[in-house]
Amino acid sequence: MRSSLIPLAVAALLLALPGCKVVKNDTNPGATAATADPIATLVNATFEAKLLPHIAKTALPVADLRAAIATDLTAAGAAHGNRGAGEGAAWAFAVKGEGKVISANLTSRARQAEIDTDGDGVADLTLALGPVIKGTALRDVAPFYVFGDFRDQIEFAQLARALNDKVSPLLVLPEGDIAGKSMTFTGVVPIKSAKDAWVVTATSVTVAR
Amino acid sequence: MNLKRRLLLSAVAVALSGSFTAFAASADTIAIITPSPDNPFFKAEADGAAAKAKELGYEVMTLVHDDDANKQSELFDSAIAAGVKAIILDNAGADASVAAVQKAKDAGIPSFLIDREITATGVAVSQIVSNNYQGAQLGAEEFVKLMGEKGEFAELIGKESDTNAGIRSKGYHDVIDQYPDMKMVASQTANWSQTEAYTVMESMLQANPGIMGVIAGNDTMAMGAYAALEAAGRKDVIVAGFDGSNDVRDSILAGGIKATVLQPAYQQAQMAVEQADKFLKTGSTGVEEKQLMDCVLINADNAAKLETFALAQ
Repeated sequence: MRSSLIPLAVAALLLALPGCKVVKNDTNPGATAATADPIATLVNATFEAKLLPHIAKTALPVADLRAAIATDLTAAGAAHGNRGAGEGAAWAFAVKGEGKVISANLTSRARQAEIDTDGDGVADLTLALGPVIKGTALRDVAPFYVFGDFRDQIEFAQLARALNDKVSPLLVLPEGDIAGKSMTFTGVVPIKSAKDAWVVTATSVTVAR
Repeated sequence: MNLKRRLLLSAVAVALSGSFTAFAASADTIAIITPSPDNPFFKAEADGAAAKAKELGYEVMTLVHDDDANKQSELFDSAIAAGVKAIILDNAGADASVAAVQKAKDAGIPSFLIDREITATGVAVSQIVSNNYQGAQLGAEEFVKLMGEKGEFAELIGKESDTNAGIRSKGYHDVIDQYPDMKMVASQTANWSQTEAYTVMESMLQANPGIMGVIAGNDTMAMGAYAALEAAGRKDVIVAGFDGSNDVRDSILAGGIKATVLQPAYQQAQMAVEQADKFLKTGSTGVEEKQLMDCVLINADNAAKLETFALAQ
């Protein structure tokens, strides 16, 4: 299974180094791919090319996703989401929407905004805005990252962390207080039960001026 | 005619299932090999496996390897000699255990691993492990939050031969090291031991009186550390553990230790026995060898629902 990463790694290396001259090495042709960090290469090859398009393509509007989950979480997951590896893992759903920022904590290393998406004046979801991004939602939403393809739980966790680190710089907020402003977002929300509070790991945010 | 035939068929079915049960009860034994039940986590695991095995009609042979790979190897010899049908194992070392599990496999006895992984695949039939890395990240996120994202802290690491000691430490640091104002001033093993953690904590505190938090690789070490802090009049120090033991639950409810991470040990052991039973009956478990189970953060909000390594819904 692990060998399935190597062609990807080679492809990604070639993509990642367009300005480099490829020097043929007859004595040990596999050396470059073998010594490269397989997770970094996988992430470089798939984050923009596959993961972000997958999230954009499968993201449901907040209200539609809420309704689907309220009806039947498992059915909603099978139709719109992807389940993380292992017993007890959450369903991860791509989601998009807009709402009013009720409050925000932008001094934490794990910035958060509380958003009201249904217009009742009360926050109904939390948007995680980095730079420290918690959890494994970005990894788990993608059906093409499969636990069995990785050496162990550490390597699989490194993938989640590497994806989180890739998203961090994409989350740019304006200076100053954003409370009261309107915000549009796309992201991923992990759900274990229909009663869960929503914490959406943002992949893109725009604050209205 | 039709009715008669149906009756006859169900009579045969009853006879068959009856004879299977009788066969299982008289001859089939499942060996359960774990570390010492002195740690309630391992006791819960052994109890969970034994209860499920008996429920499914097996005899149970419970053995303890005390985290000694040589002793584990001898226990495998005994289990093989006793003609057990399957082995449920929480192993005594990720590398050292591969040979023992292979030995059983060569003797035609399938092994089902819980809690700890081994470094080879295709040797055991199942490896069901808690997602220790995910659990450690949960614990570290809570720890950082309780610390206000800043301050001096110490880490107590588990027994080096246990793969989970390293996995948890890596998971902790994966989160904590993203906060530049969190400063680790001491890091040392206490070998999963409560008494050792007490001693280590005493000397850490003497050398670093500014410590504001302690993150421990398991609950017994968290208990030891908290006892030392309490004795030194430092109940203000934030302590977090890992496992979800009843001891730490009680401490959380009393305002002592602040958080732990539950590994569903009891359920995990039961799953392993169910898979062993299915494998013995059908030749396949129907699932992948390596299976992860997610851990759950336990803090003051949900500690009351925790009992013997299981969380009430």
